[in-house]
Amino acid sequence: MDTNVGPDEMLIHLGPQHVAQPGPFRLNVKVKGETVQDSEVEIGFIHKGIEKILESKTYLQGIPVVDRACYLAALTNEEALVGSVEKLAGIEPAERSQYIRVIVEELSRIQSHLLGYAEYASFLGFVSMFMYPIAVREKVLELLEMTTGARITHSYLRFGGVRDDLPEGFEAKCKETFEIVKKGLEEWGELMKTDMIYRDRTVGVGVLTPDIARDLGVSGPPLRATGVAFDIRKDDPYLVYDDLDFKVCTETAGDIDARIWVRIAEIYESMYIIEQALDQIPSGPLFPENLPYDRRSPVMRVPEGEVFYRVEDPRGEMGFYMVSDGSDKPYRVKIRGPVYPTMQALPPLLKGTQLADVVAIAGSMDACTSEADR
Amino acid sequence: MTGDIMDAEKIIDSLNSKFPEAISDTNTESERRISAYAAADNIVEICQYLKDELQFGHLSSETAVDLIQKNEVDIVYHIGSYDHPVVLTLKAKLPRDKPQIESVVPVYWNANWYERETYELFGVQYMNHPDLRNLVLPDELLGDWPLRKDYEGFPQNTAKNLV
Repeated sequence: MDTNVGPDEMLIHLGPQHVAQPGPFRLNVKVKGETVQDSEVEIGFIHKGIEKILESKTYLQGIPVVDRACYLAALTNEEALVGSVEKLAGIEPAERSQYIRVIVEELSRIQSHLLGYAEYASFLGFVSMFMYPIAVREKVLELLEMTTGARITHSYLRFGGVRDDLPEGFEAKCKETFEIVKKGLEEWGELMKTDMIYRDRTVGVGVLTPDIARDLGVSGPPLRATGVAFDIRKDDPYLVYDDLDFKVCTETAGDIDARIWVRIAEIYESMYIIEQALDQIPSGPLFPENLPYDRRSPVMRVPEGEVFYRVEDPRGEMGFYMVSDGSDKPYRVKIRGPVYPTMQALPPLLKGTQLADVVAIAGSMDACTSEADR
Repeated sequence: MTGDIMDAEKIIDSLNSKFPEAISDTNTESERRISAYAAADNIVEICQYLKDELQFGHLSSETAVDLIQKNEVDIVYHIGSYDHPVVLTLKAKLPRDKPQIESVVPVYWNANWYERETYELFGVQYMNHPDLRNLVLPDELLGDWPLRKDYEGFPQNTAKNLV
C-alpha cells in the first residue's frame, strides 16, 4: 500500500492490539472521508517458528506443538500432523480410532464455530450476545474434556490411533448437549432473522463473488458462503468420512450474513455426523496390530519420503507438507493453514467499503492470527 | 464441472506433451497425488497452462526445502483444484548459493504472501514480485534465512539486536 496520504485522506492503524481482533495483527486502512481507499494487513506479531521447532522434535513430540498453532482447532491440527506421519510410515489407523477421531474433530468444529459466532456478535456491538454461545460452547468443551482430559490443547491423537477410548456415558451426554446446542441455535437464529440492526450491518456487506473468492485462494466458510461446495472432507476424503452421510453446507449470497449461516448449518451437520458415527462405531482395539514403533517409546524412524496431507479445519483447508529423511525427526514441515490466504484476501475485500464496516467484515472471516503466524 | 473429468494420468500426459523439455520426473503417487519437476525458467508458463487448461485453479501452498547436502533449494508448489481431487506437487530446483525464480503472482494472486515468507525464511529471490519484503519476521532477522539448515539460531544468533 502506498502510505503517502493526500490532503483529504487519512491513515488509520487498527491493531496490533484491538478489542475486536481475535489475535494481534495490524490492519492499516487509508480512508477518504468514511470510504476505505486501500488497506494492508501486517502479521507476524506472534510468529512462533513452529515449522522450525518441529524439525528439532521427534514426531511424537510434535503433537503438543501443533496443538498450539491454533488453539481453537487443536484437534484438526493434530489430525493433519498425525495423518501425514501415518501416510509416510504406512500405518493404517484402527477403525474404532478413526471413528473416535471423527467424533472429537467434529466436536472441535462445533466449539470453534460457536466461539466464532460469539466473537462475531460482540464485534458488531451485541456484547451480551457474546455470553450465550460461550455458555453453550462450555458444554461442548466438557464433552471434549471428558474424552481427552483437556479443554483446549488436547494432545489426544497418536500415530495409528488415539490415546484413550471414549469414556462411559459419552453417548448419553452427547445427546443431552446437542439438545442444548440446538435450542440455542434456534433462539439466536430468530434474532438473526428479525433484528433490523443486525440485518442492516450484515446483509449485502462484504460481498465476495465465487470467481473472486477462488482467485483469492480463500477456503472454508467464506468460500462456501459464495456457493462453491469445496470441502476437503468430500473432495479429498480422509478417515471414515467416505462412509458417513453429510452434505457440504453452502449459501449463495457471499456476504457476512451468509458466512454466519454457513457456520450455523455446519454445526447442525457436525452434530448429525457425530450421531451417525456413534451409531456405526465398531468395537475393537484402538491401535492396529503391527505398529512399526513401540508405543511406550517416543522414538520412531519414518521411512524417507514426502507427503501432502489435507484436512478440513473449521476455517478451511489445512494441509501439512512433510519431508522425511529416514531419521526420527521430520526434515521439513510446511503448515498450510486456512487463515493465511483468508487474511491475505482482506485488502481487496475492504476496498470501497465504509470504515464502520471494516471490523464487521474482517471479523466475519473468523481469522485466527495465531495460526496465520505459526 | 464439465464432462471432461481430469484424472491423474491424463494430467501427466498433457503436461509431458505440452512441455517435453521443461517437465521431468513425473510421478503418480496415488490417484489424488501427482508430482513433477519443472524447469525454473518456465515456471510461470507452466502454472498458466495448469490454471487455464487443466483446472488447477487453487494454489494450496508454496514453500521451499533446503537440501544442504545436494547444495540445492527446492521450491515446492502444491496446486489443487476446485473441480477435481488431484493435487499436483510441482518442484523447481535452484542453486543454494543464489536461489532466484520468477514470481507466480500474476497467475496465482495468493502466492504473494507465500513468496514473501519463502523469501525471508530461505532467502529465495522472486523476480517481478510486486512487494518482496519480510512478512512474519522482524527486520533484524532478515538476511539470516532461519529455515535454512545451517542457521545457527539460539543462543548464538537469535538474541542479537534484541538486548
